[in-house]
Amino acid sequence: MGRALRDVAVVGAAATPVGRIQKNADEDIQVLEHETLAGVAIDALNDAGLKREHVGSLVFSNPRAYTKQLYFATFMANYLRLPARGVVMEVLGNGMTGGFAFDQAALDVAAGRSDVALALGVSFELGIGSAEHMMRSMRATGDVDFHVPFGFTPISWYAMDATRYMHETGATRADLASVAVKNRRHASLNPLAHYRDPITLEQVLAQRPIVEPLGLFEVPPRSDGAAALVVTTVEIAKSLKRPYLRLRGRGFHHEGAHQISEVPNDMTAFAAAREAGKDAFAEAGISAGDVDVAELYAPCTIVEILVAEALGLVPRHKGAKAAVAGETALGGRIPICTSGGCLSRGHPPMVTPLYNIVEIAEQLRRRAGPRQVKGAEIGIASCELGNYNAALVHVFEAAA
Amino acid sequence: MTLPVVERKGARPWPPRASAFTKTFWDNLNAGRFTTVRCADCRRLTFPPKPFCPHCWSKNVAWVELSGRGKLYSRTTVHAAPAAFAAETPYGVCIVDAEDGFRFATAVLDDTPPDRPVEVVLLRYDDGPLFAVRSPR
Repeated sequence: MGRALRDVAVVGAAATPVGRIQKNADEDIQVLEHETLAGVAIDALNDAGLKREHVGSLVFSNPRAYTKQLYFATFMANYLRLPARGVVMEVLGNGMTGGFAFDQAALDVAAGRSDVALALGVSFELGIGSAEHMMRSMRATGDVDFHVPFGFTPISWYAMDATRYMHETGATRADLASVAVKNRRHASLNPLAHYRDPITLEQVLAQRPIVEPLGLFEVPPRSDGAAALVVTTVEIAKSLKRPYLRLRGRGFHHEGAHQISEVPNDMTAFAAAREAGKDAFAEAGISAGDVDVAELYAPCTIVEILVAEALGLVPRHKGAKAAVAGETALGGRIPICTSGGCLSRGHPPMVTPLYNIVEIAEQLRRRAGPRQVKGAEIGIASCELGNYNAALVHVFEAAA
Repeated sequence: MTLPVVERKGARPWPPRASAFTKTFWDNLNAGRFTTVRCADCRRLTFPPKPFCPHCWSKNVAWVELSGRGKLYSRTTVHAAPAAFAAETPYGVCIVDAEDGFRFATAVLDDTPPDRPVEVVLLRYDDGPLFAVRSPR
């Protein structure tokens, strides 16, 4: 205690392509969650140029209920044969789970508990059908006794954001749907993406409704994935003599509501994202206008628009029009979700925030190939839970 | 006042649990009354009803009857539903700002758009009550 916090860097990142990885339970040959994750962890450490002996902390995202191995963190410490004196743990925070894994790893390094920490996780769910999966996911949003009996699903809340936003701003469904077209174009350039075939606005609008006004291509696909980040001190990062990310700022805010509270508010303002962004930008000493690339946790088209507005990347109530105008596309003023985002990169929820930082690591280390944002110096990643009732924002800077 | 009643065949897809405390809400609803608790100290309402006031953490709360009228804030129609709701799909859900000054979420039985008035109705299933809103009749 009493030690000064150390500056934190991200020096390694790896992930498996997002997609259908988990097998159905009746198939003879299964894909095991720990085999997949171990491979990714080793890739990330190699990417960093570090050795397993350097690692002092392992922070895992809690796996979904559809994988078998419980007490996953301690199991993995054995599987990877990795004694640790920082921490070995799993974190859980709904959609924010992977973000908390990174946050804890960064804190361990900053506090001097370990010099190198891994933030990592695996999220498999495609071995189970959607209607059955929703029997579980519906219990994660709202109140299980006062909302779930009416049939609310996680994305039904986002759909109500869309209805209200269209009502207040005059934005059309086609305006919102332009985000899906843009993200698919980004994903077509990302070898990690789940869905890579370009789509047109007409195709998006022609999909069957899922939660009105949103159709199939405007809500997240279900995806499997695994990702790992290597976190260390800036001092060690410099010694590795290769590009890295410096963590410049961090903000968190929970508004004390879960989906809704009984206190009427402006639901589409995403106050938690606004507050978390404000704190993260203040710590980094930047303003929203300094951000070069943003990887936002946005399961639906409308969510990307609202969180971009809340963070100040686009003006309030103008986010849909900014998307239509191409401001948030590659080559635009502020490229958002260059990975393809939840909609097309894919959405393995427990590790989606890790994938978002993987994309920022690719961008700021100038390794994003055809989707590279030219001259990107400042990148941000956000994640959330509920209806963005809580938000976690990290600001990264390219360094070498 | 007594809530309008809409009869529903069969059992509730996801029956809510009742505690010794929330049983009062469901019993009142079954009798046609939409109720919650008001804090005797700070005078604010909470919904769903809780055995304390979340605004000031007083445990001094008392049951009050609500008007059952309000304005629809937002809505959606769900087409991809959890397995238990397959028979009811598609169905409407919404957020309502009640005229008593609080917000709640529930089912909506018709096409009421945002900012239009709604009234609470009692849904009487074979196994117990739920509630919903619709345009006032």
